[in-house]
Amino acid sequence: MSAHGAGAVIASGPSVVRLELVLCSYCDTVHRRVDVASRKTLRCAVCDSPLYRSNGDLGAMLAATVTAVVGFAIANASPLLTLTAQGQQTRATLWRAIVASYDTELPFVSAALSLTLIIAPALELGLLLWVLVPLCLRARPIAFASTMRMLRALRPWRMIEVFLLGVVVAVVKLSGLATALPGWGLFGIAVMSFALAALASFDQGALWRRADEVAR
Amino acid sequence: MIRGVDVGLAACHTCELVVNLGGSRDGAEATCPRCHARVRFRKARAGTHVTALLIAAVALYLPANALTMMYTEEFPMRRADTILSGVKFLWQQGSPGLAVIVFAASILVPLLKLAALGFLVVTAKRHSGWRPRTRTKLYRVLEVIGYWSMLDVFVVSLLTAVVQLGRFAHIAPGPAVLPFAGVVVLTMLASASFDARTLWDRGSA
Repeated sequence: MSAHGAGAVIASGPSVVRLELVLCSYCDTVHRRVDVASRKTLRCAVCDSPLYRSNGDLGAMLAATVTAVVGFAIANASPLLTLTAQGQQTRATLWRAIVASYDTELPFVSAALSLTLIIAPALELGLLLWVLVPLCLRARPIAFASTMRMLRALRPWRMIEVFLLGVVVAVVKLSGLATALPGWGLFGIAVMSFALAALASFDQGALWRRADEVAR
Repeated sequence: MIRGVDVGLAACHTCELVVNLGGSRDGAEATCPRCHARVRFRKARAGTHVTALLIAAVALYLPANALTMMYTEEFPMRRADTILSGVKFLWQQGSPGLAVIVFAASILVPLLKLAALGFLVVTAKRHSGWRPRTRTKLYRVLEVIGYWSMLDVFVVSLLTAVVQLGRFAHIAPGPAVLPFAGVVVLTMLASASFDARTLWDRGSA
C-alpha cells in the first residue's frame, strides 16, 4: 500500500491527481482502489470506517430515484392520517401540518418543516434526476460539479425518515383522544424513505467516474 | 500505513478525488481539477467552530427540556407537557416501546451528542493517543443518529395540524419547540464541522 506506486497520474494545472488512490476520510490512511465484483462496502484497514462501495450501477440508482419520486408524490397528494372523533373527520396532509404550524405563530417551525420535508427532498430528487438521466444516456449533465456539490450540501437536511416515525408516534398519542388511522400519504413517505435508503448504499463516486468517461 | 498528509495527498471534500498538494503541510491548498472545490489537508479551524456551536447548543439544551413542548386542551382537561412528561404520558397510555424511542431520540441522543462531541474535540486538541479507532467509531455513530432528535418537533407539529381542525380538543406547540430544534440543528452543524482525521494526527509537525 505505497503512495508512490505506478498508476494513472494526470497533471492538470498546479496539482497532480492520483486516480488509483483513495484516502480514508476518517483517518487519512492512503489506500489503493480495488475493483470488487460483488456488492460490498470496502472498509479502512486502520479505522474500520467505510471507504467506498463497490456498487456503482447507475441504472439501479435511477430506478431507486424514480421510486422515491413516486413515493414523494403520494406523500404530498394523500392525507397522512385521518382522525375521527364525535362524528367529525379531519385529514392531515403534509401541507396542512406546515400551514398549521405557521398559523400558530411558529414561523420558524413551519420553515424548518418546509425545509426538511418538502424543499430538501424535492430539490434532492430533482437534482438526482438532473444528473442521473443524462449520465445513464452517456451525456455529461449541465452544471454537473455544482449540482453534485448542492446534492452533498442538501443530504443532511432531508429528514423524511424521521418524519415517518413521527407520524407513527402521533397516531399513538392521538389514540386517547380520537380514532386515528394512517392514510396513503404515510405509505408514500415509507416508500420514499426506503428508496432513498437504498440509494445511499450505492457508490456516489460512480457518478463522477461516468462523468469523466463521457467528457473524454 | 501511510497517511495522506505525510505524502502531501488530500482528497477533495466534494468529489473525493485525491489531489497532490505538494510537500508543504498545514496551510497548503489547491483547487480540485475535477469539481473546482477547495482542497485542504484538514477542515479549516474545525476545533474552534465545533466548540462555538457546542456552547450555543448547551445553552439551548436547558430551556428545550425545562419549558413546555406541547399544550393539550381536552375540555375540561388541560395539560402542558415538557419533553420528559410527554414521554411519561406515552408510557402510561400503554406504548412503552414508543416512549423509549422518543426518550432516546429527544433526551438521550442530544445529551450524548453534546458530551461525545465535547470529548472528541478535547482529545483531538490534546493529540490524545487513547484508542483512536474507538473514538472514530463514536464519531460515526454521532453522524448517523444526529437528526433523529427532530422526532418530537415533527410529532408536535403533526398533532397541532390534525387536532386544531376538530372542535373536540386543541393542541398547540409550546415555547420549548424553538430551542429544541435549535439544539438539533446546532449539534448537526457541530458534528459536520468536526474533522475525524484530527483524531489520528500526532503532535504538530
